Amino acid sequence: MNTLSKFKWFWAWQDEKEEAWLGEMAKNGYHLDSIGLPGQYIFLRGEPGNFVYRLDFQGLKAKDRDSYYQLFADAGWEHVGDMGGWVYFRHLVNGSEIPEIYSDLESKMGKYHRVMSYLIIFLPIMIIMMPRVADVELFGPFRGILGLLSASLLLLYSFAIIQLFRRISRLRKKGI
Amino acid sequence: MAQKGTDKHLPLTEATYYILLSLVTPNHGYAVMQEADEVSQGTVRLAPGTLYGALTALETSKLITMVGTDGRRKVYQVTELGRQVLRDQIHRYQIMLENAVNQSELWSAITIEEGEIL
Repeated sequence: MNTLSKFKWFWAWQDEKEEAWLGEMAKNGYHLDSIGLPGQYIFLRGEPGNFVYRLDFQGLKAKDRDSYYQLFADAGWEHVGDMGGWVYFRHLVNGSEIPEIYSDLESKMGKYHRVMSYLIIFLPIMIIMMPRVADVELFGPFRGILGLLSASLLLLYSFAIIQLFRRISRLRKKGI
Repeated sequence: MAQKGTDKHLPLTEATYYILLSLVTPNHGYAVMQEADEVSQGTVRLAPGTLYGALTALETSKLITMVGTDGRRKVYQVTELGRQVLRDQIHRYQIMLENAVNQSELWSAITIEEGEIL
């Protein structure tokens, strides 16, 4: 089987960029088959096709997963993979209408709200952990590095939350 | 007149209205999507992510309840509260419609535009 494995990283607020990239890959005949490691996209080589990719984020309980995937399948969406809470769907584009997984603004904003609250849960843990990590004797000479690492992680988290917040307010104000 | 306890659920969005209407009889999600599209004459299209969220929210607020399964699909139906909310919403629509009917000027304009007798 002709496969292509590609590493590419998208941040939590770049889902639309990622969707567009996957659509471009499909136009070139590379169809997402699965996701291996985080950031590892495995493509199957085939005929170039016009597909739309959409990423959903629900934070589903295990017992709700089946009915969720089934609803998307019934509506014509193929479930291609999962990564860190994100669910990847694909739909064939027929004609000029682009299929969407959200049909109104409110529910689309809801998706970003869920991503944001998912990140916010970890924020206090990191704030509590950060000074401790930099302080533990056990880590010896690595203390500085660990402290720096957790500080950058905290910065990244805060940045992600700000970006998601901006995404939501753009939806609210401009509807796109 | 709105019944006690339904006010906080009103007014319904168009999407929620059609979802509840479709769930007067037991239905699974995709059937709700198809019915809403059909009976709204294509004016209300429900995408699966939106519908999934709406069903979850309606279940949480106890307007619908799961009554069974169809393969991997969950089958829902309106609760008594859901029914009452729907009735109150329809009552609101009646008032809205009557107000429009009474605006004879608007009405004749529509008749001429549509080229048919309403």
